[in-house]
Amino acid sequence: MSFLHIHNVHKRFGETHVLKGIDIAIEKGDFLVLVGPSGCGKSTLLNMIAGLDAISEGELLLNGERINDLHPSRRDIAMVFQSYALYPSMTVAGNIGFGLEMRKVPKAKRREAIQRAAELLQIENLLNRKPAQLSGGQRQRVAMGRALVREPQLFLFDEPLSNLDAKLRVDMRTEIKQLHQRLGTTIVYVTHDQIEAMTLATRIAVMRGGELQQLGTPQAVYDDPNNLFVAGFMGSPSMNLITARIERHDDALVARIESPAGDVTLPIVRDRAALETWCDRDVILGLRPEAITDPASANRQDGEIFEATLEVALVEPTGADLYVVTRLGGRNINARMRPGASLSPGQSTRFAFDVSRMVGFDPESEARIRDDAAAAMGTAAQTETLGQNA
Amino acid sequence: MSTPPSSRGIGERLQHWLPRLVLSPSFVLVLFFVYGFILWSTWISFSNSGMLPDYTWAGTRQWSRLWSSWTWGIALHNIWVFGLLYIVSCTVLGLLLAILLDQRIRAEGTLRTIYLYPMALSFIVTGTAWQWFLNPGLGLERTMHSLGWESFSFNWLIDANMAIYTVVIAAVWQATGFIMAMFLAGLRGIDGEMIKAAQIDGAPTWKIYGRIIIPQLRPVFLSAIVVLAHLAIKSFDLIVAMTGGGPGNATAVPATFMYSYAFSRNEMGIASASAVFMLAVIAALIIPYLYSELREPRS
Repeated sequence: MSFLHIHNVHKRFGETHVLKGIDIAIEKGDFLVLVGPSGCGKSTLLNMIAGLDAISEGELLLNGERINDLHPSRRDIAMVFQSYALYPSMTVAGNIGFGLEMRKVPKAKRREAIQRAAELLQIENLLNRKPAQLSGGQRQRVAMGRALVREPQLFLFDEPLSNLDAKLRVDMRTEIKQLHQRLGTTIVYVTHDQIEAMTLATRIAVMRGGELQQLGTPQAVYDDPNNLFVAGFMGSPSMNLITARIERHDDALVARIESPAGDVTLPIVRDRAALETWCDRDVILGLRPEAITDPASANRQDGEIFEATLEVALVEPTGADLYVVTRLGGRNINARMRPGASLSPGQSTRFAFDVSRMVGFDPESEARIRDDAAAAMGTAAQTETLGQNA
Repeated sequence: MSTPPSSRGIGERLQHWLPRLVLSPSFVLVLFFVYGFILWSTWISFSNSGMLPDYTWAGTRQWSRLWSSWTWGIALHNIWVFGLLYIVSCTVLGLLLAILLDQRIRAEGTLRTIYLYPMALSFIVTGTAWQWFLNPGLGLERTMHSLGWESFSFNWLIDANMAIYTVVIAAVWQATGFIMAMFLAGLRGIDGEMIKAAQIDGAPTWKIYGRIIIPQLRPVFLSAIVVLAHLAIKSFDLIVAMTGGGPGNATAVPATFMYSYAFSRNEMGIASASAVFMLAVIAALIIPYLYSELREPRS
């Protein structure tokens, strides 16, 4: 039995069907990130776990107990809000201790707990201040202190970093991760930022339009996306999606891609059986920028490298990397090269494709074409096996 | 800057002077009729004026006559009772109504309008209506009697000890809706996530209001009290329409006192002194409020 089990949960606001049967299960100590574009239902799902929104259909189990109809205060959860939602008329200590006070924890014990939480978050010197006197990052810490102090079974975070500036956001992200590792708490975290999702999560649930697109470890979601949406949403710069034709050349199965300098043919090594059925049809191939490199920095140990000469359209140095844009299959394709490479637009150069990382998608249904069809959707059955493996 | 130099002179000078030109008539009128007459009243209060203005200096004679007047004492006592009850009742009832309306009930818009309607009436209409309603021979008491409740009695309107409270009832009825609207706006401005956080923290609804929401309405309380306080001190027409200051002098307030001394008792000096006194009290209330309101954005 998993620790938090969201079982076939629906949400309807009148006629609108906001959540269309979500199935997610996580284990104790997991860090689940719900990620997706705005309006995908991730915040609604979080509010339903918190008990702030009613569940239209389905079941919510926490530690084996059905919590569908429990009042938010009786679910043994704590939540950190996007706006921090600190009580402006109380001091920081009052804010952190309010939940304990409402639960009638004696004053001495309360003070001790507040002190502990404040030490953990390094805000002891702020305890007597009012929220209005704090900076954004400090408010964020107080909001987290308010959640931590009650030592709940489950923490909920609703886009907690979106109101911070870029630098602080990265720092707080690290700190949240450290807290999770140190305290071993179970967390459900909502964000629209896929980098946050990748860095924090032990499980990512990618959502769109009220439906779960994929549930898995960050690496699985990144390397093995279930459909075109997940492939395009996760990763920055995003996955290259190239229209290609599957063909059989003698014994080999290849993907032929149009390019201004003549067609490029890449051998198919991954999901070969499934892609074989697509022979002489168009598919969409997905290849991450880091799987297209210069020959020297190609990973020949783990990957299968195939080289082609292409014309450089644009060069974007970021310092750590050099992103080279070329035209393939009628689209701009991003390749990640080593920063030293001296390339200029119009020049032809060798590109190394790691075809072992290439994935194929059905252009109509946008679904992944893969050999192991059972692993296709983030079903409850799959989640449970994933949970056991972890 | 791009305009040619020939037209720039006239155009720019016009632009410079036009606002002043347009505003100057009203400025002059206000200066004369408001501030001029304030000074004039102040002067009169230190003069020997009776029925007609008399500009001979009389020192503080009118002021000492004012403060030794029995009616002025009643008027001051009444304004205290009236003002205090009026402000407290309107604030408490207005807040209560606003909280009840804030529970996402149906037909909220309609209800809000209904509560606001009394504010649209003039005090004269309110006063007359409530005078009929509370008049033992016409309104509530008579209706109760005709319905068969013979022993029912509600004669506060003609009871010298209770008449001031009937004025309070009418005034509260009129202003509560407006105060409710102020509080409702304040309640709507509170971050919904904060209430959700308090729910998760386990606070019952009354504690959420008591500990989290109402403390945040402090500026609304301040505005409501200032609005109500100056309405209370200025109250005149309601009392004239409802009780005419009576029975006897039982419901006299400073404004009715001033009116009767100026226009029926031919004591302009005392009337002016009372008017200046009222101005001073209102100024003492409003000026600190305006000061704090206008200063805030800068800090």
